[in-house]
Amino acid sequence: MSQQDNQTAAAPRRLASGGRIDRATPLTFTFNGKRYQGLAGDTLASALMANGLDVLNASFKYARPRGLVAAGAEEPNAILQLGSTEAGQVPNVRATQQALYDGLEAHAVSGWVKAQKDLMSRFLPQVGKLGGKFMPPGFYYKTFMAPASLWMTYEKYIRKAAGLGRSPLEEDPDIYDHLHQHTDVLVIGSGPAGLMAALVAARSGARVILCDEQEELGGSLLSMSADCLDQTLDGQPAIEWRDAVLAELEACEDVQLLPRTTANGYHDHNFVTLHERRTEHQADLAPLNARGAQQARSRLHRVRAHRVIMATGAHERPLVYSHNDVPGNLLAGAVTTYLTRYGVAAGDKLVLSVNNDHAYRAALAWAAAGREVVAIADARPDPAGVMVEAARAAGIRIIAGAAVIEAKGERRVTGARIAAIDIDAFSVTGAVEELACDTIASSGGYSPVVHLAAHTGARPVWSDEIHGFLPALGAPMLKGFDACGAANGSFALEDVLVAAYASGVAAVEACEFETAQAEVPAVSELAETPMLPLYQVPHDKPTARAPKQFVDLQNDVTAAGIELATREGFESIEHVKRYTAMGFGTDQGKLGNINGMAVAARCLGQTIPDTGTTVFRPNYTPVTFGAIVGRHCGELFDPIRYTAMHEWHVAQGAKFEDVGQWKRPWYYPQGSEDMHAAVERECLAVREKVGVLDASTLGKIDITGRDAREFLNRIYTNAWAKLGVGKARYGLMCHDDGMVMDDGVTTCLAEDHFLMTTTTGGAASILEWLELWHQTEWPELDVQMTSVTDHWATLTVTGPEARALVGELTDIDLDRDSFKFMEVREGLIADIPGRIFRISFTGELSYELNVPANYGLHVWKRLFECGKKYGLTPYGTETMHVLRAEKGFIIVGQDTDGSITPEDLGMQWCVGYNKPYSWIGKRALSRPDTRRDDRKQMVGLIPTRKKAGDERIVLPEGSQIVFDPEHAIPMPMVGHVTSSYYSPTLGHGFALAVVKGGAKRIGETVFLPQADGTTLEAEITSPVFYDKKGERQHV
Amino acid sequence: MSDATTLDPQAGAAVDAQPQDMTSSQTSVIDQRPTPEVHAQCARSPLAHLFTARDDGDAGIVLQEKAFLGHLTLRGDPAQPGFAEGVEAALGLALPLTPATLHQNEGGRSIQWLSPDEWLILVPGEEAFTVEKALHEALAGRYQVVNVSGGQTVISLSGDQARQVLMKSTPTDVHPRAFPVGRGVPAVFAKATLVLRRVSESEFELVVRRSFADYLGRWLLDASEEFGVCIKG
Repeated sequence: MSQQDNQTAAAPRRLASGGRIDRATPLTFTFNGKRYQGLAGDTLASALMANGLDVLNASFKYARPRGLVAAGAEEPNAILQLGSTEAGQVPNVRATQQALYDGLEAHAVSGWVKAQKDLMSRFLPQVGKLGGKFMPPGFYYKTFMAPASLWMTYEKYIRKAAGLGRSPLEEDPDIYDHLHQHTDVLVIGSGPAGLMAALVAARSGARVILCDEQEELGGSLLSMSADCLDQTLDGQPAIEWRDAVLAELEACEDVQLLPRTTANGYHDHNFVTLHERRTEHQADLAPLNARGAQQARSRLHRVRAHRVIMATGAHERPLVYSHNDVPGNLLAGAVTTYLTRYGVAAGDKLVLSVNNDHAYRAALAWAAAGREVVAIADARPDPAGVMVEAARAAGIRIIAGAAVIEAKGERRVTGARIAAIDIDAFSVTGAVEELACDTIASSGGYSPVVHLAAHTGARPVWSDEIHGFLPALGAPMLKGFDACGAANGSFALEDVLVAAYASGVAAVEACEFETAQAEVPAVSELAETPMLPLYQVPHDKPTARAPKQFVDLQNDVTAAGIELATREGFESIEHVKRYTAMGFGTDQGKLGNINGMAVAARCLGQTIPDTGTTVFRPNYTPVTFGAIVGRHCGELFDPIRYTAMHEWHVAQGAKFEDVGQWKRPWYYPQGSEDMHAAVERECLAVREKVGVLDASTLGKIDITGRDAREFLNRIYTNAWAKLGVGKARYGLMCHDDGMVMDDGVTTCLAEDHFLMTTTTGGAASILEWLELWHQTEWPELDVQMTSVTDHWATLTVTGPEARALVGELTDIDLDRDSFKFMEVREGLIADIPGRIFRISFTGELSYELNVPANYGLHVWKRLFECGKKYGLTPYGTETMHVLRAEKGFIIVGQDTDGSITPEDLGMQWCVGYNKPYSWIGKRALSRPDTRRDDRKQMVGLIPTRKKAGDERIVLPEGSQIVFDPEHAIPMPMVGHVTSSYYSPTLGHGFALAVVKGGAKRIGETVFLPQADGTTLEAEITSPVFYDKKGERQHV
Repeated sequence: MSDATTLDPQAGAAVDAQPQDMTSSQTSVIDQRPTPEVHAQCARSPLAHLFTARDDGDAGIVLQEKAFLGHLTLRGDPAQPGFAEGVEAALGLALPLTPATLHQNEGGRSIQWLSPDEWLILVPGEEAFTVEKALHEALAGRYQVVNVSGGQTVISLSGDQARQVLMKSTPTDVHPRAFPVGRGVPAVFAKATLVLRRVSESEFELVVRRSFADYLGRWLLDASEEFGVCIKG
C-alpha cells in the first residue's frame, strides 16, 4: 500500500485526481489538537474540507456551529488561530487564505463565547443562557447603557467578547519590514484582467508591479476546468495562457510579481499599501534565509504608483435563506474552486440554488467528480443558457422558478426545502419539497470587489445592469485609478480581456510610454443568459418568524434583525449597519453588505440605490501589527542622538536622560550612590572645585550678513545694536503671542557674524522660525543662517578652579581682566582650534569650550588628564538643573509653558520696548491681559521647616498652590511648582514656582495640597537663592 | 533647555563697541583643522565605533564611512552677479543650478544643490579651510559659507543590494530611471533625514548628521543583514 493511498484514506473528501495540489507531497497539520494530513498546494481550508471537518467555529452571537462558506478573502467563518508556540500565535487567519505547511497548528477562535458567557453571568444572571430571543439587534446598546457609571466595567468584558482570536503573550521573535516602491503601473489582482493589463504595460517598458492576495498568480484562471465548460484562450486551456504571460512578465527587469500580497489600502495620490506575506506559507516562524540571516516574515510595500489598475475580480453573493449558516451551505463558486483547484468535494449530495448561469459550473464539476447533484433550483422561470442545457443533458434535475428556502440540519446540512417563489410579491407560491442532501451551494450573482476604489471616499455606484456596485471611476478621488474585468462589472471572459487591454494601454499612455504590441487571446464562445436579481429568498413564514436567515455570518446579523432595525426607525443604511453590526469585524461586509442593503430596501419599500451606497475603509483584510511597525521597533524605534563624548559617559557608568531624541548624561553615580547622593556630590564639586558638563546638545546657529544684528533685534525681545565684537549676551525670544518661546546666549564673532545658541529642544524649530521670518517677512535683510549644532562639541567647565584647569590646555589668555565674563576668544584648546565662551549657567566661573566635534572626545579626555588635581567632576543634567535653579535661571519648557511672558518671569530688563523697529511679541505684550499685575509670576519657594528633617522636604513638581488651605473644595488654585530640588549648597529644599501676583507676595506663606491628603507649606521668596549679587561668575 | 545663559541684568545692558563700517565681509573664519599629527592622533569619526571592518563573504552590501571630509554649507542667491562665477573660481566646479543635482571632480570635490539658496560642498578634509577662504575671497554681497565638517559624515553604500536597502529606508525613488548618477536630494530616511546622492553607477553616498550617525548606521546594518555585509575600514 503506497503512502498515497494512506493519504486518500485519511482525507475522505479528496478526489483521486485533478486540482493543483501535489499528491506526492503530504503535509501534516493539526486542528484543535488533532492531527490530519493535507497536500502541498492546499490551503488550510481545502485541507480541512478534505478531511471532512464541517464545524470549524461557533458563531459570534448565537454560538451556532459554522463551517466553510467561501474559498477566498470573503470567508466569514473559518477565522482561525494559528501557531505552535506561544510567541508564534497569529489570530484571525482566514483558513481560505492560509497555505498549508508541514506542522501547521490551528485552533478555532471560540474565545469570545466564553467571554460573552462571562459578561452575561456577571451582569445579567437572569438571562441565563444565550439565545436569539434575548439578543435582538441593539442588544448591547439597550442593555449596557445604564447605569452610565458601570460602562467602564461592562466595557472590558464587551471588548473581550467582541474579539475573535487572541494575541500572543510572548514577544514575537520574527521581524517585519517596509519597502518603499515607486512604479508606473500597479496592477492589483492577477486574474485574466490583471495579467492582460500587466502584459500590455510591461511590453511597453513601464515599471510594473502585479500583486495578488493568493498563493499563486492567476486568479480565476486557476480554477478553470473543461469539466465546467470553462473557455479556452487561443484554443488552449486558459491556464496555459496564464503560464506563458507569467513567464514573460518574470523575464522583464522592471516588473515585480508579488503573490501572497494583498492591496489593503488605497490612499490619496495613488499611494497604495500592500501587505506581502513572505514566509507564512512556509512555517510558523520565518525560517532563516540561505545566508543564515533572519528575513522579514511580512512586508508592507508602500507603493506610489503613477497609475493603479484595480483588477480585483468579484465576490459571489450567497442567497439569504433560512438556516443558510448550517455547515454544508457554501457559495457555488467556492464549491467549484475546491473541486477544480484543490481536488476536494464539499460533500456527496449537492443541491444548487441559483439565479444565474455561471453558478452552474458547480453542478457540472460536481457531477464530473462522480458526486450526485440532487437538483438545481433556479429562480428564473425559464433558464436556458449553454451551461443550463449542459446540466440538463447530464441528467441533472432543474427546478425552474424556485429556490432553496430553508436548509435542514444542525451540525451539517441534511436536506433542502425547495419551493417555487414569486420574487416581486416576496412570497412562496407553491408546495415545499424537501430533498435530502449534505451540501447546498447558492449563488445570487457577483459583486465587484470595489473596496479599494472606495477607500479615498469615492462611493461606489449602483448598476442595474449587473445588480451590484461599480467603482466610481472618474471621481476626483480616483485620479490615475482605473478598474477592469469583473471588478468593473465585466464578467464575460472576452469582455474582461478587451477591457483589461484598454486599461493597460491607457495606463502606459498616461505614463508617456509608447504602447507595444500585445494581442488579446481568442476566447472560445460561451453564451450566458441574464441573471434575475434575488437576494433574500422568501420563506413560507414571514421573515420575523421564519428560521434565521443570515445576512452577515460573521456578525450573526439576520434578515429579521435588519427588518427590526428598519421598524425601529433606522432608515439610513449607515444606521442599520451600526445598529445591527452588519459589516463589522474582520469581514467588513464582503459577503453580506449588498444582501443587507437589499433586505433594508425591501422593508422600506424602495430600491437599493435609494437605500444608500456602501463605503469601505482600509484595510481590506486584517494586517498584522508587525507589518505596520516594520523595523521601527526595539533599538530602532526612534532615532537616538549621541554627542561626540558619549562613549566616555557610558564607560563612566553614567545614567542617561532622554532630552528629545538626545541621550544626555543624567548623573554619574559612583559606587553604590543613588541619584540623590550623586547629584549632591556633583553640585558641591561645582560650587567648591570644578565640574564639566557635556553641553553639545545645545542648539547652535551660525548667523551672518550685514543685517544680522538687525535681524537679532527683531527676533529677540532685547537689544543687540550695541553688542561689541567678541561679546556675548543673553537673549529671550517670544512667540508672536508675547509668550516666552526660547532663550540662549548669542555671541558677536564679527560685525556681521553671530553665533546663536538655543535650547536643546528648540534647535530645529528655532532655525525654522528664523527662516520663516526671513523668507516671508523680511527678505530684504541681508542675513543667512546655518545650523552648527552637530558641528561643535561643547564642554562646559565650571567652578572656582575652572580657570586653572582650562589654563593648562589652552594658549588663550584667561586672565580675569583681559578675558571678562560674557566674552569669547579663539585659540587652541588641547591642540585643537576652537573658541572659548566665558558664560555661565551655574553662577560659577565658567568657560564653555567649543571644538569641532571630531575632536570633542579628545579634548574631554585631556580635561580629565589635567583635572585630577583640581578635583574635576563630570556632572549631568540633573546637577545642571539644581545649580541653575539655585541661581533662579529658568529652563524654557520647564519653568515656562507657553503662557508666560518675560515680565511674568521678572525679566523686564530683557525687554527692549524702545528698540526702533518692532520685534516679535512686542504688540502682544501691550495687551491689557499681558499687563495685568495678578498674572502668574515666577517666584521662589522654600518649604516651611517645623522640625528636624524638614530641610529634606522637596515640594513635588507640578504641585498646585493655594492661598487658603481651609477654603471649601474646589479651592482656588493660584499657581504651581515648576522646578524643585534639594540643594546641598543651601542645605534645604527649594523650588521655582509661578504664583498669581507672586512678585508682590514675597514673604507670604502658601499651601500645596497633595494627592495623599496632606498639605505642604512654603514661603514665597526671590527666585535667586544663591550668590544673589552674581559675584561668583565674575571672579 | 538652555544650558548656558546668564540672567544678569548688568550683562544685558553691556555697551562695549560701536558699529563698524562694513565694506567687506568680516566673518570670523578660523582654520578648524589641527595639525596632521594632532588630527591623526585625536580625531574620532561619528561611526568609528560602529563601522568596524567586517566581511560576511559574497556580501550584497558594502558600507564604508568616508570620515573627516571637509563639509561646507554655502548659501547665497544664484541670481546675484558674480555668485556662480565666484563659486566656480574658488572651487573649480560649476555651481549646480538644476535642483537635486551635484557636480563632482576627480580631486574629490563636489557641490550639490540643496535648495534654491543652499549648496553642500564636500572636499578632502585638509582642503576645507583653503576652499572656505577662497570662497570668501571670491564672493561678495549676500552669501554665507559655514564649515560644518564636524557635524556630518559620509556613508558610502554599494553592492548588488544597495537599491533594496535604500527602498527599505527611504520614500525617495531610487530606481536608476529616477535617480541617475549625479542626482542628490535631502531625503527622509527611516525616522531621520539625510542627504542621499548617487556618485557613480555603483555607489550611493549618504551624508548624515553626526548625532544621527549611530541610529542611521544601525538602521543600515539591520536592513543589510539579510544580504550579507562588507564594511571597509
